Amino acid sequence: MRDAYIVEALRTPGTRRNKGAFAQTRPEALLSHILDALAKKAGIDKGIVDDVMTGCAFPEAEQGLNIGRVATLMAGYPDVVGGATINRFCSAGLEAIAQSSMRIMAGWSEVTIGSGVESMSTVPMGGNVPRPHPEWAASNPEVYINMGNTAENVANRYNVTRADQDEFAFHSNMKAAEAQEKKLFTEIVPTPATKFVKQADGSIVRESFMMDYDDGVRPSTTIEGLGKLRPAFSLTGSVTAGNSSQTTDGAAANLIMSGDACKQYGLKPIAKLKAYTTIGVRADEMGVGPAYAIPKVLKLAGLDVKDIGLFEINEAFASQAIYSARELGIDDPKNWRSDSDSRIINVNGGAIALGHPLGCTGSKLAATLLRNMKEKGVKYGVESMCIGGGMGAAAVFELID
Amino acid sequence: MARRIEKAAVIGSGIMGGGIAALLAGAGVETLLLDIVPFDLTDEEKNDPAARNKIVNAGMDGLLKSKPALLYTKKDAARISTGNLTDDFDKLAECDLIVEVVVENLKIKQDLFARLEKIMKKDAIITSNTSGLPLAQMSEGRSDEFKANFLGTHFFNPVRYMKLLELIPGAETKQEVLDFIADFGERRLGKGIVWAKDTPNFIGNRIGVYLIAKAFKLLEKTDLSLNEIDAMLGAPMGLPKTAVFALADLVGLDTIGHLGHNSYEFLPEDEEREVYKLPKFVEDMLEKKMFGNKTKVGFYKTDKSPEGKRIKKVLNPKDLSHNEFDRKAVPASVAEAKKASTPAEKMQIILKDSFAWELIASSMIYSANRIPEISDTIIEIDNAMKWGYAWEFGPFEIWDNLGVAETNARMEADGMKVPEAVKKMVAAGNSKFYKTENGKQYFYDLVNQEYKEIKFSSNMIFLKTLKADNKVAKKCDSASLIDLGDGVFNIEFTTKMNALNGEILDFMDEAKSYIDANGVGIVIGNQAPGMPGAFSAGGDLKFMGALAKAGKFTEMNDFIKNTHETMQSMTYSALPVVAAPYGMTLGGGAEVCLAADKILAHTDTFMGLVEVGAGLLPGGCGNLNLWKKHINAVPQSVAISNLADIYIPVFQAIAMANVSMSAKLAQKSGFLGINDRIIMNKDYLIGEAKKEVLRMLEDGYAAPLKDDVLVIGEAGIGMIHAELLNMAGAGYVTEYDQVVLKKIAFVLAGGDVKTKTKISEDAFLKNEREAFVELWKNEKTQARAEHIASTGKPLRN
Repeated sequence: MRDAYIVEALRTPGTRRNKGAFAQTRPEALLSHILDALAKKAGIDKGIVDDVMTGCAFPEAEQGLNIGRVATLMAGYPDVVGGATINRFCSAGLEAIAQSSMRIMAGWSEVTIGSGVESMSTVPMGGNVPRPHPEWAASNPEVYINMGNTAENVANRYNVTRADQDEFAFHSNMKAAEAQEKKLFTEIVPTPATKFVKQADGSIVRESFMMDYDDGVRPSTTIEGLGKLRPAFSLTGSVTAGNSSQTTDGAAANLIMSGDACKQYGLKPIAKLKAYTTIGVRADEMGVGPAYAIPKVLKLAGLDVKDIGLFEINEAFASQAIYSARELGIDDPKNWRSDSDSRIINVNGGAIALGHPLGCTGSKLAATLLRNMKEKGVKYGVESMCIGGGMGAAAVFELID
Repeated sequence: MARRIEKAAVIGSGIMGGGIAALLAGAGVETLLLDIVPFDLTDEEKNDPAARNKIVNAGMDGLLKSKPALLYTKKDAARISTGNLTDDFDKLAECDLIVEVVVENLKIKQDLFARLEKIMKKDAIITSNTSGLPLAQMSEGRSDEFKANFLGTHFFNPVRYMKLLELIPGAETKQEVLDFIADFGERRLGKGIVWAKDTPNFIGNRIGVYLIAKAFKLLEKTDLSLNEIDAMLGAPMGLPKTAVFALADLVGLDTIGHLGHNSYEFLPEDEEREVYKLPKFVEDMLEKKMFGNKTKVGFYKTDKSPEGKRIKKVLNPKDLSHNEFDRKAVPASVAEAKKASTPAEKMQIILKDSFAWELIASSMIYSANRIPEISDTIIEIDNAMKWGYAWEFGPFEIWDNLGVAETNARMEADGMKVPEAVKKMVAAGNSKFYKTENGKQYFYDLVNQEYKEIKFSSNMIFLKTLKADNKVAKKCDSASLIDLGDGVFNIEFTTKMNALNGEILDFMDEAKSYIDANGVGIVIGNQAPGMPGAFSAGGDLKFMGALAKAGKFTEMNDFIKNTHETMQSMTYSALPVVAAPYGMTLGGGAEVCLAADKILAHTDTFMGLVEVGAGLLPGGCGNLNLWKKHINAVPQSVAISNLADIYIPVFQAIAMANVSMSAKLAQKSGFLGINDRIIMNKDYLIGEAKKEVLRMLEDGYAAPLKDDVLVIGEAGIGMIHAELLNMAGAGYVTEYDQVVLKKIAFVLAGGDVKTKTKISEDAFLKNEREAFVELWKNEKTQARAEHIASTGKPLRN
């Protein structure tokens, strides 16, 4: 099989649900903007794209009606370019990259896009109309479990303490703050945001402004401050709003090509997708997903943990991210602390600081990872996340020098 | 032009001003709340509006956060705008009513009124909420027009909950203004009006402070401890449990002291003036700022043991030390009184004690001697004490309870001076201060020495009076059916806390048959005393518990079936049925209301389906009717795309035993619907309900169509089952809670049917009945029910 190359990878800023810059911006606007920016940045004619896959965890209402197709047309891609929405909750954006890559690898496409979008301000987590299957929910409700409870279960079952989680959360924020200050998030594309502004006479006017940074980072947070937060999901728990990922709005897109196409359009790829996998785990501790998915994908790629120069392990919750790092044997503080120059995990912060726009995250983390691999000249990078319902997903990217 | 109050202002944003503003806003009046600009602003702050409004904003904040809440709903706060007396003074020119509640300083009030006079609307009503300063002096120097529109409106704290509103006419106040304010106060603000004269401390505080001051004086003659005195004078005498000393702590000894000093200074002719000279230990307490609750130490204080246990201590007046006492240990007389059945017997037991006797007898004599000084009639004094001090009986009613002649004899034997007017009354052969004849209530006019009819607003109907006038059509131990006139009959519960039992349900059927034959409509209402009192605190758990213990589940099933039939017959009766709840309206009490055609709720109605606290779900059609109340509020042309938007809040209301903290909040939570009404004055409830029945008939009342009910079915059950895992994981629900909640989820969903199915009401109720009986079969429900019935607190087994 031939290889699939990521040629360009971009994302919008991630902004806080209901409070951030995109709270009143439609998800189609976020996605179409990033799809448009992707073609422009790569300098391609939009018509050469065969199909656009979009990950979205709650593809309904404003995100429904096949947002993958709608936003592609809105972005100015011609009618001939297809679009699909795919869902595997938090790995949907990575799943979109994988499926788009497989189309290339199979020889069925030359140019595809793997993207993701989630406006958690618009469609709530769980969706507007959740309807668990009554008999299954009576006997096996775990598959529908609240994510916070799974984080508590991971913390309790595998002894991840409150102090561990708060420390991890603190460093996520510090890393992100440092990266913002050093302007390292070059994968971000300034994105127009909509705001409905009440006028003095009571009428409401639609206004637009540009947003170019992740607005959830807390540079001033402290371990003491985090320690004072009350548990968010259990009366006696350790998981707080401070050591959980933020709920976020955002979109991201990755342009994927065959080797022939790269040559034809004169584009230099950043990396190729070396392997992708998913694995199921117990639903009520879904956060352990990366601990199983990463070894599985490394085996597929014929690599060892030691070969990996950079990890993006989605910080759904500090408890599960810490647990996953421990299981992989990469939990040495120097690998993730903000004061370590040799850090390899979530080097510029993770979802605790930067946000976790569910279905977008897989595409977003790829953009961040590829940017950092290129910057640091890292040959192999791994992206992984846990998935609601009890799964893990992981991908290995290989830098093209 | 007809007088109307569209805009009002309250000047002074302290606890009283804030309370009055909250009440006005709750009554739907746009209200401007003003206070002074702080004196100590820096130059920079002087231009900062927020700094200039600091005092009023703090007052507004206090009113928003007050507990118990002063607002019926936070939404009402939108009717209150704030400002300061410098920048916003001119806004007062738009107000129809201006209530002054500033600091009790004559000069400040006079200056304020002088300023106000220059800008006020020509016909605006100006009132003062002073608790004791002479109104005549306040309006000195003002124009005749000002004086014609000026009077005293003395509210009691907390304003929302205390029924008393003392109105104090000035010498020149126009009758039209007095009539208007009395009606406004009664109808719109829901208050009980008492006409007072412009004498120091008016009525409530004059008598109330006398009693406290007299108790201080009498202390040297008794060995009783202060907590014993409070226990004796509290429940058995019909006083609130704070009685004397805990009340002083609550009000603040500084306030009591101020009122006492005020009385001493301004009442040189008072025959009991020396009582107001506070004893040394009280003056010492004032010096040491032992003001009570506000300084955390007064006649009582609460310490914490090293283990964090609260230790309640009471003052020893001899050395101002505080000693621990056992709150559960009560004097023998209190225990004895508790067993007595009538209020008179209870009082007589307590009054065997010489301290209690002397205190109460002195207060009765003092009250009688105040006529006509502070009021023309005994009614005003009795009402002031009942509504402003929460006494169950006023001093003259206590006198009646004890027997006037006997009481007078004991007074004289003990060397007390029975007031001449009272002696004359008895000598003329009149044995009581109050009497009821031919459905009319009379009081004895001590000035003119004759009985006079008590005049009530035409909206007020008193069941007690009707019962005394042979208007009882049917009666059992737990309920009465009372003829309200015009073919409307009232079903009155008469059990403890008006709890529902089997007898009441049977009675409702009989009553309905009777009215079917003899009447035109039904009011379900009662007038139990208390603040807030209980329309009905729920179902009789002990009866059900006994059935469960005896394993009589077939009987229980039949009982619920009957209950459902009774409730449904109320709903679908050809007669209009109006429920008139107030105060606690819980469980079965709420279910009775939900089954009625219309609810007329008093503004302080605390309504909820709380069965879950007993390990149960509602068993009197409560699930069906609360669901219907919600689903029927949606126009039929609306296709509800997500029934869970309705199902989840209804489930939560029952699963979490939510109780509305006002009628407006009951509207918010769907217990009151668009057809239901809120009545501000509790005494209007039955009268308004009767009018409502007649109006419905006038409008051509027909029974509602019994239609199938749209339900969420299996989809809702699935949602709750999935969510319970999260709640259990979070530690919010125990294993058995889940058993109960799953039953509620099932019943409310209409059972295991396809989502968005319409099912018959009978099918819905079958689920409710079966779930109810199933839960009772469980020992844990039996334990929960028994626990809450005996302790009032839920058991989490």
